[in-house]
Amino acid sequence: MNTIERLLNVPSTDPDDARHRKLLNIMLIIIGLVTLISIIYINTVPSTGEVEQQDYTYVYLASLGVFIGVLVIFAINRFWSGKAASVLFLLILIVAVAFGDEPKEVVEGRTLIMFAVPIMMASVLLRPYASFATAGLSSVTILIVTQFMPEDTQPNVPGILTLLVLAAVSWLFSRSLENALKEVRTVNAELDQRVERRTQELSQANHQLAEANERLQELDRLKSKFVSMVSHELRTPLNAIQGFAEMIAAGIYGTISPQQEGALERITANTNRLLKIVNDLLDQARIEAGELSVRNAPFYIQDLVDGLEATMDILVGAKGLELKTEITDDIPQPLLGDQHRLQQILVNLTNNALKFTENGYIMVQVYQPDKDHWGINISDTGRGIPKDAQAYIFEPFRQVNGSETSTQKGVGLGLSIVKQLIQLMQGTITLESEIGKGSTFKIVLPILTPNEEEK
Amino acid sequence: MDKKLAFVIEDEPDLATIFSEALRSVGFETKVITFGDVALEELQTSIPAVVVLDLHLPHISGTEVLKQIRADERLSETQVIVATADAALAESIEVNADLVLLKPISFLQLRTLAERLKTFPNQSE
Repeated sequence: MNTIERLLNVPSTDPDDARHRKLLNIMLIIIGLVTLISIIYINTVPSTGEVEQQDYTYVYLASLGVFIGVLVIFAINRFWSGKAASVLFLLILIVAVAFGDEPKEVVEGRTLIMFAVPIMMASVLLRPYASFATAGLSSVTILIVTQFMPEDTQPNVPGILTLLVLAAVSWLFSRSLENALKEVRTVNAELDQRVERRTQELSQANHQLAEANERLQELDRLKSKFVSMVSHELRTPLNAIQGFAEMIAAGIYGTISPQQEGALERITANTNRLLKIVNDLLDQARIEAGELSVRNAPFYIQDLVDGLEATMDILVGAKGLELKTEITDDIPQPLLGDQHRLQQILVNLTNNALKFTENGYIMVQVYQPDKDHWGINISDTGRGIPKDAQAYIFEPFRQVNGSETSTQKGVGLGLSIVKQLIQLMQGTITLESEIGKGSTFKIVLPILTPNEEEK
Repeated sequence: MDKKLAFVIEDEPDLATIFSEALRSVGFETKVITFGDVALEELQTSIPAVVVLDLHLPHISGTEVLKQIRADERLSETQVIVATADAALAESIEVNADLVLLKPISFLQLRTLAERLKTFPNQSE
């Protein structure tokens, strides 16, 4: 298929020229094949009579001549000029028609219609209007041939007129074909342009996106750096305030009055509050940046509960409440988990319970709901959380309106951090609460095996 | 004269004072050092029983100081308390330190710890 294509196509910058030359090649090849077949046929048919043999010789020579002519025109078409080749081809066709039969048949008989072939081909091979030139040339040829006929022969005017009409039809036909082609080409060119423009726009947009992405990543890096810097810069002076207050309270710089001691306690309590906020903000920023991870290691539940009691006992007791703890015996220990973060979760939830409980107790229960999980329930006998608030209570910076006194207020990150930490641990947290009776936060965590820990 | 020696290697002067006071209040003789390279020099001539070590130090980092202490045969009995605000970094050096405290570190917390460390047997001979 490729070879035939290569044989037919002539490279040209002008698409019309290329099309014309290809058409000419197709015609030349068809004619070439026909003559080749007739040459072969004549060579293989045995001669049976004198007359027939003479006829064949004539046809044989003519075929050979046409075949050579086809080769010459093919060469001109390919290597020099499509127009010249076409003109030569048409001239040879006219001459062949004019002298290929008896003059009478050419002027008035069977061969007259053969002039239609070069006329129609002209509009296809050259320009649409070339059919008129060919028709004119054919008419002149007919008139010339008329001269070889008996003297009283009149020129075949209706025949010549018919050729002219044929030329007009051929012209119209080719012209509409060429116009349609031109339109297609214009549309194609427009489409190409549009595609190119769109491609350009797309690549530009892509480029802008990449730049924006780069900027975002840079911002993210800056944010992380900023958060860690701020956290360090805030915590260091807070640490100093806390430390000096404790030193004065411990009597390192001499004895102090009960009022001074009270003031120092307030300094310590407020510093701790501030530290808690800073830590929560830092945790939230880390969670948002995807930087917070849990580090699992073996631990014992009793240590976790002891740590909670050590942190919360005084606070719970100061409010006249009781912190009850309960651990079911049959949990496989040690468990794998991030004890530091679990501690943070328990302290946050206990603190939360403490805020909303005026009488009664806070209960922390550790149990095993099924063989693959362990769970912690933190319940209180507080005022409970309204239904509408239960929907948003785990969202960052959300607080139940009017629920806290000014000293209880934080930034509203505690429960959000708890939930996100539990999600990091592949666990779940749910809330059950009834107004006036209390709330229970239920945590369920997977029991990890050492293999899972390595993940 | 049998007071045990403690180094506080910390570049924040206020924190250094607090840590140093906490150790002193339970009977340590303390020395505050601000720079990592100075700490390494001092460690050539003294053998402290306890070192409170910040990880972010000028010149030579606390991590490097810790590595040097652990590589030094003479200091094999020295207890190192790492004090840092960087939880991730703390995790990575946990093996080498005797104790890792995450800042903020309270005066009372450190004092309680120091009290316990003082009774540890070490190189006081």
